Amino acid sequence: MPAFPYLFAGTIFKTNLITLAMIILSGLVVLIVLRIAMRKMSVNHPTGMQNFVEWLIDFTTTLARDTTPDNATVRFVLPFAFVMIFFLFVANWLGLIMTIAIHINQPVAAWGISANDLLQAHGEVMVFDSPTANMSMTLGLAVMVWLISHGRGLRHPVQYLKHYGANPMGIIEEITNPLTHGMRLYGNIFAGEALIGVILSMPMLFGFVPTGIVFLIVWLLYSAFVSTIQAYVFTILMSLYIGQKSYGSHGHH
Amino acid sequence: MWRVFELGTFIVSIVGFLIVFWIIFHYGYKPFANILEKRRQYVESQISDAEARKQQADNVLAENQKLLEDARKQSREILDGARLRADEHMRSVIEAAEKESRRLLEEAREQIERERKETLETVLQTASALTVQVAEKLLMNHVSAAVHEELEKEAEERLGELVW
Repeated sequence: MPAFPYLFAGTIFKTNLITLAMIILSGLVVLIVLRIAMRKMSVNHPTGMQNFVEWLIDFTTTLARDTTPDNATVRFVLPFAFVMIFFLFVANWLGLIMTIAIHINQPVAAWGISANDLLQAHGEVMVFDSPTANMSMTLGLAVMVWLISHGRGLRHPVQYLKHYGANPMGIIEEITNPLTHGMRLYGNIFAGEALIGVILSMPMLFGFVPTGIVFLIVWLLYSAFVSTIQAYVFTILMSLYIGQKSYGSHGHH
Repeated sequence: MWRVFELGTFIVSIVGFLIVFWIIFHYGYKPFANILEKRRQYVESQISDAEARKQQADNVLAENQKLLEDARKQSREILDGARLRADEHMRSVIEAAEKESRRLLEEAREQIERERKETLETVLQTASALTVQVAEKLLMNHVSAAVHEELEKEAEERLGELVW
């Protein structure tokens, strides 16, 4: 496993610099794509990328409608779901398109790379990677969703508490839901990247036949599928969790 | 697992994502949402416009039908009136003609009567003159049976001519 450069290494607030950078990069990619799609935006005659973005908004709207109880929640969830599905799609695919690791020999104290880390990582330091291949990051997103859903649930404290009164086991769900929510994404993306790394490091037959290429193609296709599906799954679960905690208006769409 | 878990990454991810979300939401998502909203409003306005126009068209149609019905009724009334007036006129013309013809007939009859009377008078006068002449001839010539007969024949002829 390659080492990562860290901020605040040695303290409890150890921060993976690459993950942070990749979050920003993914967001930037999403923003740039949206801005490009926006260039020839038209009310009556949408073309090209505008159609694609509108389709994605439509798709997330349907997703939110299917998983939340009322239109107010759909309106609340829709921007989150739209940004989340697009962001995760880009983030998951970034690690598939490429992962870059550099080889260094000397430990860099400023980046929190110790000699022990280098030894374990065989000197490899990751600099380009999916942000979602980091467990802390996906758990962070899952807990963020958890916080949003409970914040929304607490706007109606009576119904919020009544839910637990009727089903005390629901408290366990409040722990397992964010945990599985985050771990599922992390596991899929990390496994995809890790296996790509393993396949790439396969020795060549007779020193020149790239036997790994078949596995690589198959695994890349599968990972591409998984990356797309996981972006969707994370988003639909987010919508569902927020929808579960949305009480209030009884008007169903 | 707890060794792998990095609290800093965890917090930074949440904060970082929220910032990224906020930026994308404002500069990437909102314009599209506005466009979609505008389109929704546009479609709605088009629909309501079309409905209003249809209502208008219906109204105009109903009005036209009413006007047509009125015109038809009016024309029927005019036609009926005209027919009535024509009948009346005809009747009056016929009446006048009948009266005229009766008058003419009467006049003609009167004239005939008058002429007959005149003719009769003339005939009587001629007859009396003839009688006088006959008497004169009778008295002047010696009246014989043959002459008498001849005279009678002549008188008859003359009388016949006169009468007819």
